[in-house]
Amino acid sequence: MEPSSRLERIQLNKATISFDDRFTLSEIDWIIEPHQHWVITGTNGAGKSALAAALAGVGKIEAGTVQGLPKNVGLVSFEAQAELIAKELKKDDADIMDVISLGTPVSEMIFEQCQDPELASDLVEKFGLTKLLDRAFRKLSTGETRKVMLIRALSSKPDLLILDEPFDGLDVDTLAMLQAHLASIIDTVPMVLVLNRFDEMPDFITHVAYLDKDRSDKERLEKKRGDKKRGDSGRLAFTVERQDEAAFNELYQLLHLKTTDLSVPEADPATKLPALDPSQPLVKLKQATIQYGDTVIVDKLDWTIEQGQHWQLSGPNGSGKTGVLSLITGDHPQCYTNDIFVFGFQRGNGESIWQIKQFIGYVSTALQWEYRVSTSCKNVIISGFYDSIGVYTKSTDHQKKIADQWLELLGMQERSDQPFNKLSYGDQRLLLIARAMVKHPPLLILDEPCLGLDDMNRQLVLALIEKICAGKETTVLYVNHHTEDKIKEIDNHLALEKNH
Amino acid sequence: MANYFNTLPLREQLAQLAKCRFMYSSEFADGVDALKGKKMVVIGCGAQGLNQGLNLRDSGLDVSYALRPEAIEQKRQSWKNASENGFVVGTYEELIPTADVVLNLTPDKQHSSVVTAVMPLMKEGACLSYSHGFNIVEEGMKVREDLTVIMVAPKCPGSEVRAEYVRGFGVPTLIAVHEANDPKGEGLALAKAYAVGTGGHKAGVLMSSFIAEVKSDLMGEQTILCGMLQTGSILCFNKMIEEGVEPGYASKLIQYGWENITEALKYGGVTNMLDRLSNPAKIKAFDLAEELKEIMRPLYNKHQDDIMSGHFSHTMMEDWANDDANLHKWRAETAETDFEKTPAGNVEITEQEYFDNGILMVAMVKAGVELAFETMTAAGIIAESAYYESLHETPLIANTIARKKLYEMNATISDTAEYGCYLYNHACVPLLADFMKGIKSDVIGKGLDVDDNGVDNARLIEVNDALRAHPVEAVGAVLRGHMADMKKII
Ligand SMILES: NC(=O)c1ccc[n+]([C@@H]2O[C@H](COP(=O)([O-])OP(=O)(O)OC[C@H]3O[C@@H](n4cnc5c(N)ncnc54)[C@H](OP(=O)(O)O)[C@@H]3O)[C@@H](O)[C@H]2O)c1
Repeated sequence: MEPSSRLERIQLNKATISFDDRFTLSEIDWIIEPHQHWVITGTNGAGKSALAAALAGVGKIEAGTVQGLPKNVGLVSFEAQAELIAKELKKDDADIMDVISLGTPVSEMIFEQCQDPELASDLVEKFGLTKLLDRAFRKLSTGETRKVMLIRALSSKPDLLILDEPFDGLDVDTLAMLQAHLASIIDTVPMVLVLNRFDEMPDFITHVAYLDKDRSDKERLEKKRGDKKRGDSGRLAFTVERQDEAAFNELYQLLHLKTTDLSVPEADPATKLPALDPSQPLVKLKQATIQYGDTVIVDKLDWTIEQGQHWQLSGPNGSGKTGVLSLITGDHPQCYTNDIFVFGFQRGNGESIWQIKQFIGYVSTALQWEYRVSTSCKNVIISGFYDSIGVYTKSTDHQKKIADQWLELLGMQERSDQPFNKLSYGDQRLLLIARAMVKHPPLLILDEPCLGLDDMNRQLVLALIEKICAGKETTVLYVNHHTEDKIKEIDNHLALEKNH
Repeated sequence: MANYFNTLPLREQLAQLAKCRFMYSSEFADGVDALKGKKMVVIGCGAQGLNQGLNLRDSGLDVSYALRPEAIEQKRQSWKNASENGFVVGTYEELIPTADVVLNLTPDKQHSSVVTAVMPLMKEGACLSYSHGFNIVEEGMKVREDLTVIMVAPKCPGSEVRAEYVRGFGVPTLIAVHEANDPKGEGLALAKAYAVGTGGHKAGVLMSSFIAEVKSDLMGEQTILCGMLQTGSILCFNKMIEEGVEPGYASKLIQYGWENITEALKYGGVTNMLDRLSNPAKIKAFDLAEELKEIMRPLYNKHQDDIMSGHFSHTMMEDWANDDANLHKWRAETAETDFEKTPAGNVEITEQEYFDNGILMVAMVKAGVELAFETMTAAGIIAESAYYESLHETPLIANTIARKKLYEMNATISDTAEYGCYLYNHACVPLLADFMKGIKSDVIGKGLDVDDNGVDNARLIEVNDALRAHPVEAVGAVLRGHMADMKKII
């Protein structure tokens, strides 16, 4: 792929592009004219992110041609974010070392190779990152790292801007700010957005590309190759112009498919948890405070979660939602300096975190990044019985059976033995949700569970959560930004404010 | 204080060196019970101190930190580490007298002064623990008779110790009891509970001795782990420049090459590393490694001998007493090497290319790993220890070079390792001068220039057999198997 200067036509001609051996985009025909703005959408695992990344020069062209790719591409995606974070974490891998690496500060991440420092400073301010400039990048929350990525891309004077799920994880105000900023630059740079949620599509979008999994092709090839294992592939099913109303509505319908009746697989009767006293709350935080140096993130929060009382937790980025959750799960070191009662334990009296975690099922974006061990899809679900990342204990046949039932529910039974880290982001998310639910925990914490899911899978997950809420065993604590993702059984609401 | 090892009779020296046994999971059935309700006070809150403390507390144990007064007054990083994580922090006087176990996690160079300062404050019958045995073995620290002295040494950097625990796993750990200080016979029980508290029992625990730990640790770090990588970097870089390879490319090939090629060690040992090469390149690397081993063997023997006799630690401690004059001088010299001063170029090098164009580097790693392993085992160190201190840790050190070259490696390793690394380098560079004269860019920088990849069958079989038959491969397969078993039981 020869990079060329800006604002030329980008043209993919029967391009087959492979990404390691795990995924292939087959025979893509696509033309992006200068001044067009595209949304790429489609089913989970169809290669939306792959196609976006291909425009940034990622992947290997196996056949066909790709022309007109600009040199300077601004790319924001979960994959790129995860890679950056992994790189930062790796800086800590020294052996026999004498010093702890403190990690790269946010200011360096943003300004070191910045093309437009003025814009960057402006965005830092608007995104509310000013106070975090000295903090180590790897200490940031998910939402915050995302913002750093966005600022880096926007201020790099790109010839093409590729934003893969830019709106996920942003609070309402930030989202509006970002959309306004994008709308203000439509005449300077062509944009390609990957969106799972159709209703988030900005008005300036002129075209939609819809991808789906390329099953026929895969079967054909498998036969030809004598049933050799081979990665998934996706194809560009069709493109739609915004102005073409009929075609546009049809696409909308497709993405709002109804989910069928479903039932939640049962728990494993053999893994019995110690009984909880029904007269005690599950969680009781008294005057809980989280503080870094002089910055107070959470200020004297009182919160009691009674058994069977489902809660929704909301608040802008940086309001400490993740912090509060990690006080409950025991992942936050300051849980030892707070007055916290969970599952019968007053924290800090000789209990181990594994005694706490056994009562909790948990999903979050951070967990997804930590889940870096190479293991099979089935094992990821099984690891939910052990609260571990990876499986380090022998599992029972019964547990394996339950894992199979979950895989079937998710429509992933054929991928049971495939490595988890080779799945698309959305499919990984689905598996982690199953992992959290598999033991029917007394407390199920879902921190933005629908991030990265397409509309169909989002419906599936919301329906599952409703089912779990309706049952008696599990109390649900649900965190989200999207007001439209309401769960009807949840009627307690805690809204956190930004303190700092 | 006299070198402790040298005070022992030969019989006892040999017995201590040979102490190393992989423990069964069933031996950890009591969990952290032996430490339950006991007060653990950590001195120092750096890489090991902080991360071990976080794990121990999450395992239900009572952990607090005693720091030196300057660190508290000036709110140094160590103070921040402890207090931001919600630990009680106090002075020696405040905390040590209440401690049932004192965890000495300060830098090794400070151990004599730290232990001398805290010992009078310690409770009768309490326990003192280390994560490295230099102070006891080489400096001959005499600990009060009523105190129990143990070692729990994670074989990984502090950040990994924490990350693996959070995942529900742990890192391989070595434990030992100082037999001269086990008045109540409870040392082993305490060390086991401590290892469980850090999660080490899930990844495999070696029951060893202070002596075996120190003598093998020193040998590994000065030879293959740091010394060989430093010497190799300098020689390979200079050769490439001489051969007209573009300097940016040469710099990058080395800076990231060690990391890339040694990654293969993690999965399948030296055999797998060489299997990544084409057949002609593999045979070439094998032959070069044989030659290198022949030339370098006396140097490895000398390092091991000096470590065993105490000559090494003696000269290093003289330098400590002389304000580290030599260390600082050698550090400055390293910063001035051409490799260090040439930034990595902005060229793409694929993972496979690091192997194909770095045949000599592969040969150096092979020669270094095998020699270190052979020399250690010949000196009476058991194979399992020798494996951890050679092959297992090589990729971890290579990562530091990838970050910021030799500077970063030498900054992050301990002063002891750094000192030994320079000694090795000073001897090894001239030793390999003649050998390097015969080296061309086909084995470093450009890759073999061959029309086809044909090789002689008999020769290939011979090479493959020799690779697989090396004793480091047998013990490696078993230990990696243990790790993998525990990592992904189906
Ligand atoms: N790092 C590893 O990979 C590793 C692996 C296994 C074992 N070990 C062993 O673990 C031990 C600790 O190593 P480390 O890497 O954790 O060291 P480190 O990161 O350098 O931390 C040392 C800590 O000790 C404090 N300290 C320094 N000088 C002191 C003095 N004179 N008196 C009291 N405190 C002092 C420092 O805090 P202030 O300067 O603020 O006081 C710092 O918090 C060593 O025995 C080492 O061999 C290390």
